[in-house]
Amino acid sequence: MRHTVLRLIMILAIWAAPARAQEVLLTLTGAVTDGRVDITRADLAALPQHGYATSTSVSDGRPRFDGVLMRDLLALAGAKGERVRARALNDYVFDIPISDFHRYDVLAALTMNGTPLTARDKGPVWIVYPRDDHPELADIRYDMRWVWQLVALHVE
Amino acid sequence: MTGLRARYLWPGGLVLVCLGLLGLAAGQLVALERQIRVSATENMIWIFGQTQAEALNLALALSGDADPQAIQTRFDLLLSRLTLLEQGPQRRFLEAAGLSEPLSGLRADLLRVDPLAGTPPEVLQAHVTSLIATLRGNASLVMAHDWQTQAARLDRLGHLHRLALAAVIGAAIAGLTLSAILIDREKRLMRARLDRLRSDQLASDLTREREQSENHRQFADLLAHQLRTPLAVIDSAMHRLTRGGKPAPPDLVAEKAAVTREAVARLVHLTDTALLMSRLDSDAITPRLRDHDLRELADAVIADVRRAPPRDSDPSRIALSQALTPAIARCDPTLTAEILTNLLRNALLYTPPASPIEVELKQTISHVTCRIADHGPGMTPGCLARAFDRFARGEGHGNVPGSGLGLTLARHLARLQGGDVTLAPRAGGGLLATISLPAGDAS
Repeated sequence: MRHTVLRLIMILAIWAAPARAQEVLLTLTGAVTDGRVDITRADLAALPQHGYATSTSVSDGRPRFDGVLMRDLLALAGAKGERVRARALNDYVFDIPISDFHRYDVLAALTMNGTPLTARDKGPVWIVYPRDDHPELADIRYDMRWVWQLVALHVE
Repeated sequence: MTGLRARYLWPGGLVLVCLGLLGLAAGQLVALERQIRVSATENMIWIFGQTQAEALNLALALSGDADPQAIQTRFDLLLSRLTLLEQGPQRRFLEAAGLSEPLSGLRADLLRVDPLAGTPPEVLQAHVTSLIATLRGNASLVMAHDWQTQAARLDRLGHLHRLALAAVIGAAIAGLTLSAILIDREKRLMRARLDRLRSDQLASDLTREREQSENHRQFADLLAHQLRTPLAVIDSAMHRLTRGGKPAPPDLVAEKAAVTREAVARLVHLTDTALLMSRLDSDAITPRLRDHDLRELADAVIADVRRAPPRDSDPSRIALSQALTPAIARCDPTLTAEILTNLLRNALLYTPPASPIEVELKQTISHVTCRIADHGPGMTPGCLARAFDRFARGEGHGNVPGSGLGLTLARHLARLQGGDVTLAPRAGGGLLATISLPAGDAS
């Protein structure tokens, strides 16, 4: 019995790992390659990884965020435009100028303090600004751009 | 002094107090501004509204025919909003609003009916329905607290603005008062300084006036005294001539006439000197400066002195050392002759009868000098120091006729022409009188 359970778990793990890797996390539309690019977890893992600790407007302390740079992500999708319309799981929509991603090291964060972000918190992807490195970012105009539960980006 | 200090004390203190208040207000304004900036990002009404919306969305999904995946997503979203409510700033807001107790444990309660754990939809639905009721019951309280906080902050902001304004006005008033006091003080000081200057001027004027009047008195005394001797000589001569009632013999008349003429000459000289002095005092003498050969002038003066020497003196003692070159000086010949006469007569009067008197002329680039050296007793340092003062008479010369004005006059006249008269002890005994005058152009 125990043997069977172990085997089942192994099978599940082998099946689940690639499935999880191939899971589409983000959909980019608009001025991107072929008008639509689906970004999987594996795609994100293949990009250079970055991270830093920063304060946030909705939590205490300075959690550490890891993920990929937004500008790398947009380059991967061949995005050409002035701004992106970020859409969250709950249909929260916000426009972010693409210049932000070049001026600051804006992250598409996948983990917080080493723990993967989930939809039950602010995951799977959270747009994070280096709030502590640039005083002007500690402002509501930028805090609103920290789109959490990010699922889609429309480039214009 | 204490009154003055007190006058500065209260405006100065007011300035300090106002600046302190201003600093306090500024500090609090900065703190409040930061608070407002931070609280703006809290945006609790929006977060709470979103939580309510997600709860309703989940209820909607449960009541319809939604697939399990969609229900799970809605569940996750609601859970993420409840997670957010329990985090730092949001939790503190709810605590401050007194809502942490009715809203605590909502997330844990929801996790207990996780569809992933196989909770039947009916149970989940019932839970969500009660959750919606709880949220709705507290939404208005969240809003009220938010607004109340904002209103309180605005009140404080207004209060701080008024405080800062009052402090600025106070400081300005105190500053103006201080400046007024300082300006007033400066004015008083200036007036006092002017008064002092004026009184100093008056005092020095008075001193000079007193000195002058004392000089005049002494001058008058001396003049009277000096006039008395020749007058007495004349009187005695006249008396002798008319004594006995018969005509005097011709040789006696001639002798007394000579004595009388000499006395009259002294009287004339005295009055001339007095007149010249008086004109000098009133700046009435303007020297007519031309180039003259000082040698010719000296020759003429020596000849004059030889013609009319002071009584009982032998003018042949005067010897002018013969140099070949002329000594051209820029001077007034009349005034210069007066100086030379004075110095030569002094030399004749105050030295032993047979001692020589040497007159020597010298020319330098800028000056022409005439030195008169005698072999007399010379002068003590004290006498030298006072020799040019008015009415200063050398010691032990009471029997020698003199006004005490000769040297004073000589120096005055020399300086009037841009030159000077000096006295110095002669090496080997005697006195060295030097008159120096500016060199003329022709030299």
